[in-house]
Amino acid sequence: MLSTVSIEAQNDSLQTKGIIDRCHLYGVGITNILDTYLSPENYTGIEVRFVGETTRTTQLANGKISQYQLSMGNISSMNYRDGNGSEIAGMYTYNIGWHYNWILCDGHLRLQAGGLLDFNIGFIYNTRNSNNPAQGKLYLNISPSLIASYKFRLWNRPFSVRYLLNIPIAGVMFSPNYGQSYYEIFSEGNYDHNVVPTTFICSPSLRNMLSIDFNIGHSTFRIGYMGDFQQSNVNNLKSHTWSHLFMIGFVKRFKILPAL
Amino acid sequence: MKRLFTLLFIVALTVVSFTSCVEEEQFSDTPEGNFEALWKIIDQHYCFFDYKKEVYGLDWDEVYAKYKPQINDNMNETQLFEVLGKMLGELRDGHVNLYSSYDLSRYWSWYEDYPSNFSDTLQRNYLGTDYRLASGIKYTILDDNIGYVYCGTFENDLGDSNLDQMLLYLAPCNGLIIDVRNNGGGKIVSAEKLASRFTDNKLLVGYMQHKTGTGHSDFSSMETQYLEPSDGIRWHKKVVVITNRKVFSSANEYVKYMRCCDNVTQIGDKSGGGAGFPYSSELPCGWSVRFSACQIFDKDKNSTEFGIEPDNNVSLSTTDFLRGKDTIIEFARKKLSE
Repeated sequence: MLSTVSIEAQNDSLQTKGIIDRCHLYGVGITNILDTYLSPENYTGIEVRFVGETTRTTQLANGKISQYQLSMGNISSMNYRDGNGSEIAGMYTYNIGWHYNWILCDGHLRLQAGGLLDFNIGFIYNTRNSNNPAQGKLYLNISPSLIASYKFRLWNRPFSVRYLLNIPIAGVMFSPNYGQSYYEIFSEGNYDHNVVPTTFICSPSLRNMLSIDFNIGHSTFRIGYMGDFQQSNVNNLKSHTWSHLFMIGFVKRFKILPAL
Repeated sequence: MKRLFTLLFIVALTVVSFTSCVEEEQFSDTPEGNFEALWKIIDQHYCFFDYKKEVYGLDWDEVYAKYKPQINDNMNETQLFEVLGKMLGELRDGHVNLYSSYDLSRYWSWYEDYPSNFSDTLQRNYLGTDYRLASGIKYTILDDNIGYVYCGTFENDLGDSNLDQMLLYLAPCNGLIIDVRNNGGGKIVSAEKLASRFTDNKLLVGYMQHKTGTGHSDFSSMETQYLEPSDGIRWHKKVVVITNRKVFSSANEYVKYMRCCDNVTQIGDKSGGGAGFPYSSELPCGWSVRFSACQIFDKDKNSTEFGIEPDNNVSLSTTDFLRGKDTIIEFARKKLSE
């Protein structure tokens, strides 16, 4: 059995078991992509993104540990300079992790700190290159994660401000070597440092989101800004994807009750 | 204390992540900016600097010094294209091109400076009009029971069924001529597929080497290239491969593969070469540039960038031309009849 509650009802103690917060966001924004395997030029364009986020309380540490999952997909279309060349890029991201929760300031402030497994798969396609038309993206990171949310009332209505920050510190990444072709990797089977360990030094990346929740009727809506900065410098190939997005969606809170 | 340390660590990570942009130098869209961008792309990615320094003394820094004074902000687009095209011409590489919307810079001296050794007028005397045609390959049986196959491109995907049907049709022939003259290349897998019909064993046919860094000598180890025999119909009798100077890139690779097979003779002119696997990049003004990025070698680790010498160097003769005879095909027929 499921029940839905609004922001006001979200002041429950963290120890409440079986609570699931689910959020669906849709975003549009601008992106700036560089991948020197394809081109030395920065490509800029429009990106659309979907984010599905789920947080559920667990019985670990007396209910103070929550599980976090994120499923996110985006696609973008870009040009460079005066629109001479174009690229298309897409990425799917899945995160799973756990946060330790602190409730502070009489329940107004909730701090969550923990770690995530951050899995990403995607591509960048350059529409006019010959034997290097596309670059595959595949990487797995371990990311410390912080979430801070603060509840307050304004004009006699409940609001919640939330900030999320994920920063990968280490991981592994697939990458062709500097001048290595995909033909050589997949047709000839020539491996050359194609699975590369990464750290926050060679892959300084960051994903953060600032949002505000508000109620309209019995529904909770969320609007916010997402900044997603994925970068790497491996095998002498430089890559960055800088995305700035306006996100909008809704939040639902469920409680799974035991069947009678 | 532990939590404080964790918090400080995360704050430090945030600072590092916010302040460490992974960026590439962006040149301005001016004649000078485009010149610098092109010179750098080639400097960091081109794969034949060491080899060509040895063969004809190519020095990319000298090329910079030679062409940089020709660049100024008053030059128009056409003048810039001409200077950049000439600079790329110093590489003497058919895989190096600059593409604008109105022109293509190229170095084609590897065949333009030599006799073509191919005439489609003469070829028509052998193929006739009732030849078979599969996946772009023309084939027929000549009146001395020699099979004649003309493969003018590897741009097409060659199907197993196409090749099975072709070899089945030619099976009664005493020998086979595979004419790849004027074949400027295409898909390397098509070249492999056709060559795989001429060996029963897995053959070492060459080596590949890619760049691992921006330095002129930053290369991976030489990785072996093998030719696997096809599971379909394979040819076991004598074969002559006919080449001319316009045989380039994947077609040059095909000749390299065939020379590793038994019962194969190469006749005609030296092939054109093109042993670099081409990549693309682009300039601030929107022009696209293609260049050789990976080196390919033959089974003895020699570069085939400047072509493969035939076993028998034969050219079209004027006398034969007037008689409607293709000297090279006639030589091949004689060779197969021996």
